[in-house]
Amino acid sequence: MHGRLKVRTSEEEKVKKEKERQEKLKVFKHAMNVIQNKRKKCELDTEQLDVTGQVLTKNPDIYTLWNIRREILIVFRSNLSVMEMTKLYDAELSLTEYCLKINPKSYCAWHQREWVLMTRSDPDWQKELALCNTYLKLDERNFHTWDYRRFVVSQCKPDLQEEFNYTTEKLHDNFSNYSAWHYRSKMLLHLFPDKKGGRPIQDSHYKQELKMVLSAAFTDPDDTSAWFYQRWLLGAVKNITQIVVCTVTPSKVTIAINNSVSKSYIKEKIKVIINNHEVIGEWKSCLGNEYDDLWVLNHDQSIRNHLDIKVKHILVDNEMEVMRLSELKPAIYVGRNKISFQNKYSSTVLDELNEQLDACRQLLELEPDNRWTLLTTAFFLHCVDAKAYHKEIIDIISTLINIDEQRAGYYSDLKSKWCMEDNIQENYANLSLDYKVECKKLSSLPHLQYYSFCEALDLSNQNLTSRVLPGLIKLQHCKKLNLSNNKLTSLQGFPYLTLEELNITDNPLIENHVEQLRKKLKNTKIFF
Amino acid sequence: MSFKTKDVVLSQTRPTTLLLQKHADYLASYGLNKDDFEYCMTEYLRMSGIYWSLTAMELMDQSSRMPKDDIIEFISLCQDSESGGISASNGHDPHMLYTLSAVQVLAMYDRSDAINIDGVVKFVVSLQQDDGSFFGDKWGEVDTRFSFCAVMTLSLLHRLDAINVNRAVDFVLSCMNFDGGFGSKPGSESHAGLIYCCVGTLSICKRMDALKVDELAWWLCERQLPSGGLNGRPEKLPDLCYSWWVMASLSMLNRIHWVDQEKLEQYILACQDSETGGFSDRPGDITDPFHTLFGLAGLSLLGNSSIKQVNPTYCMPQETIDRLRLEPQILLI
Ligand SMILES: [Zn+2]
Repeated sequence: MHGRLKVRTSEEEKVKKEKERQEKLKVFKHAMNVIQNKRKKCELDTEQLDVTGQVLTKNPDIYTLWNIRREILIVFRSNLSVMEMTKLYDAELSLTEYCLKINPKSYCAWHQREWVLMTRSDPDWQKELALCNTYLKLDERNFHTWDYRRFVVSQCKPDLQEEFNYTTEKLHDNFSNYSAWHYRSKMLLHLFPDKKGGRPIQDSHYKQELKMVLSAAFTDPDDTSAWFYQRWLLGAVKNITQIVVCTVTPSKVTIAINNSVSKSYIKEKIKVIINNHEVIGEWKSCLGNEYDDLWVLNHDQSIRNHLDIKVKHILVDNEMEVMRLSELKPAIYVGRNKISFQNKYSSTVLDELNEQLDACRQLLELEPDNRWTLLTTAFFLHCVDAKAYHKEIIDIISTLINIDEQRAGYYSDLKSKWCMEDNIQENYANLSLDYKVECKKLSSLPHLQYYSFCEALDLSNQNLTSRVLPGLIKLQHCKKLNLSNNKLTSLQGFPYLTLEELNITDNPLIENHVEQLRKKLKNTKIFF
Repeated sequence: MSFKTKDVVLSQTRPTTLLLQKHADYLASYGLNKDDFEYCMTEYLRMSGIYWSLTAMELMDQSSRMPKDDIIEFISLCQDSESGGISASNGHDPHMLYTLSAVQVLAMYDRSDAINIDGVVKFVVSLQQDDGSFFGDKWGEVDTRFSFCAVMTLSLLHRLDAINVNRAVDFVLSCMNFDGGFGSKPGSESHAGLIYCCVGTLSICKRMDALKVDELAWWLCERQLPSGGLNGRPEKLPDLCYSWWVMASLSMLNRIHWVDQEKLEQYILACQDSETGGFSDRPGDITDPFHTLFGLAGLSLLGNSSIKQVNPTYCMPQETIDRLRLEPQILLI
């Protein structure tokens, strides 16, 4: 039950109300009895239409009654004239309209309306579109009405530019109409895709939309709707699947990808070649799923010194990318790609982003603690040049952790993500098997597959909680792991890794948990 | 035009502790009076009502107060021998929603043998469409809620392989929006309840990798309002049931810490009615079994130790999910 306030009433009123309700209930039960009896006797007639209609006007969610009405209309259709049916269909539409006035969110009534329009031979779609306009004036956020509008549009196929314009109109009435922003995003992708560039939206429109968001946001920065739309626009860039790192050791081969791919993708698009012979074997997802960003191949090859190992990756346009592995230690081969986490925009869009960044900075001078302006500024900086602005971005996020405490967890993880990205790019510049993550106070460990090749990883002095432990499974080649001075409270969920050394000193752990982990990782020296 | 956040203010006199016994008493007596107006008027969703009450009672470890034998007999009677589907109540038509509720109840009772399982499987399979979507019943309404009902029902019966899972996943993914959220069908606006259904479907089908996690989880944590309560869409009022839809989704995404859990707990507790027992959508409104379950389940996700652990994907006690050896996917972080 939604939005029904409990009101205090006198005993007298209570008795009166209960009496009224019992009266109503009597009528209801009688009607339901009549309906059920007639249904048992297969009496599909006008009387049944009348009784079900009467009950539905008060309780439009009794789905079975709508089913009965459809059964009757289907039978009538084969016996009655088109004219007579038109009348019945019109009456059905009136009934749904009446019900929707009582409950504008009745799934059943909306569905009945769709059914009638799809069943009758003479649907008036323009009338339906007009009805949507009226209903959206009464409640601009009713998602049933918007869904119904999309249904009508899918049938009568108006020029989608008109629908796009409709969202502009709705947004100029009220920028906080999230439903209109949503519909706009769909129209934008339909109307202006950048087919040549492989981007979701053409540059000229991209820029125009960014401008529209900014004017909405400047009308009132606390109105959240436009910010979600902006976040989407900023992230709408080309995304290419790429091998990040491939590792070959005597025990296994692993391949880390920048995003999750399917088993068949790995099987068909990626080949590991040792001295001109393709390695055959079954790829297994690191997590045991059908899609993953780290894949493991257990092989029966003997991996010696001085092998020639390369990985071939067939790209989208059938181009081939070849990566050569180097022997970092005897019989340990690693091949790493050039990586980047930087979003790439055209210069037109980039100019616009820089302009908007300036506007945000000006807004911040007036209102330095506005969380929306702060977050947007950080995102603009990140989109323009994450590396150059790294320190400023992290400072802003640290400010947000303090001024928007409710979402401190989100900001901490966002900070962790951006720090990790910065750190990974630095680490990938020097080839080694032994790394220390130089970030401060990480609360999560995103992109861990990028470190899948490491033999030693130092994650000490962070803010890691036990939540991150299952993710350590990505460290498939790790022998020495340092998790000291973190916030681990439990070791449940610690994955099976073939570690030689694990340091978990200075964590708020219970001895008992360590004992259990010792049983799990029998060959690991645990420093506690 | 000045913008004002829609929210409620929690009063000083609100309940601040969990009134567990009151809730159990409220649910135990709910529906005992067969002439109660509210009870009669909700007959068309009775099967779900039973699921809400029983699950809440299970979580409070007081399910023995529910009339087990009557419930199981009622469910058997509600199965339609022709289609195999289960209806909300006697005299109503079979539907995906109530088929799921019935299967959930029987799973908690470990009594799936009380219905014709092959019939249920046949019913669910018959409702899958070429595009992977599911009808709610033979009348053709499509909704991602029904996709979730389908995979949850079948997985509880260990028969998920009876449908085309890849297509079911593809359909759900076709409902993904610019904000990373999901609506009821392709093109529909994101809504926390439907996000829960879609994320739940992906969790059961182990395809959580396909989510735009950062965007989605950010949108979800932005549902929290200054009162601590959560709304279901931007610029809407808080509602207790969203503490379930949002928090269960965030749990599957392993990002429950993106909201202020203490403030949310205060909001949930404030939705209790200290006189009648039960929870309502907002403080001061009339309580019902639906919000009572989602209040308790929400508190369970927040780690309240006087309530049993709830599984975020299935909204059933974790012990039931463990007994059935189901392992819905939870994302790594
Ligand atoms: Zn609610």
